[in-house]
Amino acid sequence: MKLVRMILALIAIVVVGAAAFTAYAWFIVGDGKETGAPQPAAAGAPASLTDPVARGEYLTRAADCAACHTVPGGQPYTGGVAFKMPFGTIYSTNITADKETGIGDWSDDEFVRALHAGVRKDGKPLYPAFPYTSYTALSRDDVLAIKAYLFSLPPKHAPARPNELSFPFDQRWGLSVWNALFLKKQRYEPVQGKSQAWNRGAYLATALGHCDECHTPRNAMYALKRGDALSGEVLQGWKAYNITSDKTYGIGNWSEQQLADYLSKGHASGRGTASGPMGEVVQYSLQYLTPEDIGALVTYLREVKPQQGSAGSEVNDRPALALASSASAPGAEELAQGGLGQHLFQGACSSCHLWNGQGRQSEAAALLGTQAANDPQAHNLTQVILQGSTLRTAHGETSMPSFGQAYTDAEVAALGNFVLTHFGGKPATLTADEVAKRRAP
Amino acid sequence: MIVLNINGESRSVDVPDDMPLLWVLRDVIGLTGTKFGCGIAQCGACTVHLDGAAVRSCVLPVAAVGTKAVTTIEGVGASAVGKKVQQAWLDIEVVQCGYCQSGQIMSAAALLAATPEPSDAEIDVAMSGNICRCGTYVRIREAIRQVATGQKVAPQTLPNEAPNQAAATGQVLSFVRVEGVA
Repeated sequence: MKLVRMILALIAIVVVGAAAFTAYAWFIVGDGKETGAPQPAAAGAPASLTDPVARGEYLTRAADCAACHTVPGGQPYTGGVAFKMPFGTIYSTNITADKETGIGDWSDDEFVRALHAGVRKDGKPLYPAFPYTSYTALSRDDVLAIKAYLFSLPPKHAPARPNELSFPFDQRWGLSVWNALFLKKQRYEPVQGKSQAWNRGAYLATALGHCDECHTPRNAMYALKRGDALSGEVLQGWKAYNITSDKTYGIGNWSEQQLADYLSKGHASGRGTASGPMGEVVQYSLQYLTPEDIGALVTYLREVKPQQGSAGSEVNDRPALALASSASAPGAEELAQGGLGQHLFQGACSSCHLWNGQGRQSEAAALLGTQAANDPQAHNLTQVILQGSTLRTAHGETSMPSFGQAYTDAEVAALGNFVLTHFGGKPATLTADEVAKRRAP
Repeated sequence: MIVLNINGESRSVDVPDDMPLLWVLRDVIGLTGTKFGCGIAQCGACTVHLDGAAVRSCVLPVAAVGTKAVTTIEGVGASAVGKKVQQAWLDIEVVQCGYCQSGQIMSAAALLAATPEPSDAEIDVAMSGNICRCGTYVRIREAIRQVATGQKVAPQTLPNEAPNQAAATGQVLSFVRVEGVA
């Protein structure tokens, strides 16, 4: 009897404790922890921009609001982009100044609270698909500059699509508990002893660019594992690669020029071309940054704590089969082996990519040295084959057609495996079942 | 204004940077020998040379050409290899409807310039990016062989055994080596 009573008491304590914590979480959820701190030197738009709207536009681009709040080909900032999570689908909302369906009625304080605390106008928590966990570090001035820019655009009527989430994830109050556990409401504070460029880069990469939201692994509660910052994660079928300073698994061996080119143009010679979500980041955001800001980002990324990847995922810069090939044909031994993957590559891919992986006419088509051809799970390789890729920047447009409709799962797997072995020297591990899972529904 | 070196001539064109080279060649300059096929670099009909390398002009933004020399089907005969390829195409009577053939010749010339004696397998692989709706692939391969070996061949539609069916359809049954050097 005594034991039963003790267990009951223990359960009661846990329940009361959880209830108290939930109440506390609900109570503090709307507190943005506004400190009234002055704008730090690392924040703001470049001094060369003086027009307030242009400054707001620069910051809105640096924060890459468009990538999530604009459907490809749709009206800018009217929302509707789907985010498929393991627990359901969330749709982004209209952030134009439309009073009915957008944020036209939001006050400055309400907008700041949304970015700093992750709370809607009505006080309910927002889903952390909206990266307030990063935006919380933005200065108040920058948040309001972004608001002023959004309000300078014509309001568009576009009602939000309701989220499709399973229980209990459709219960917004639960997010207040998540916030109490994982949201550190803190503005960016320059790190003493680091250069001005490093601090600017840190502000761009964390508070504005929110690189962590894709490139940092998440725990079981879907919160960022800050200790493994930028070591790579898979989101919606795409791999955000390890971008730590590790020389083998990260970008430690990239030259300054390669890093700057990749960020500002979406392509780095010998390293590959941004596609999928990273292509969007370049297209909507990074290409608009000043060379100084790109330089600051490079400075910051250079010093990110190195993190190792899994053995076998390193980029092979001397893949034997590709090196044995000429531009127009594979080596005699490989050619004699034949196979479905080789056959498909010959028919649909070799015209642009070439057998030696150098890329015909456009460096963007080079496969040698790319992470896509070296990721043993072939995440982005599969997605690019299925969906194609388009990159539009001030330097022109490069695009690859999609083959998802043309090829069966078995054919995509065979082609993916050919690319893995030929251009990455990696084992052929992609299966038709896996391709089927990765096809967009 | 963009300055292009096309078939050895300098041409200035006032076009947007991202206009495909194919459009510039056909619609702006008037060199209509190069054909539009698929528009996504999958068929090879638009193949031209950029500093001797075969490229698909339908997906090549004109600004990416820079100072490289563009050679089109109108100019390929100026090079020794190009001239031999053209002659072989005539000798073998490769062409049927002809739409893809500018691209086929440009790809063949680029292949032979880089690999003067390609194996049959190499020919098939290298030419696989050029699609022919009429199915002239066998003659294309034979024409490339003629250039590679210098051995003139003639298509035989009426072999010694003379099956009537083959003769009636004009189907190529074999190629016979003939005297002389291509």
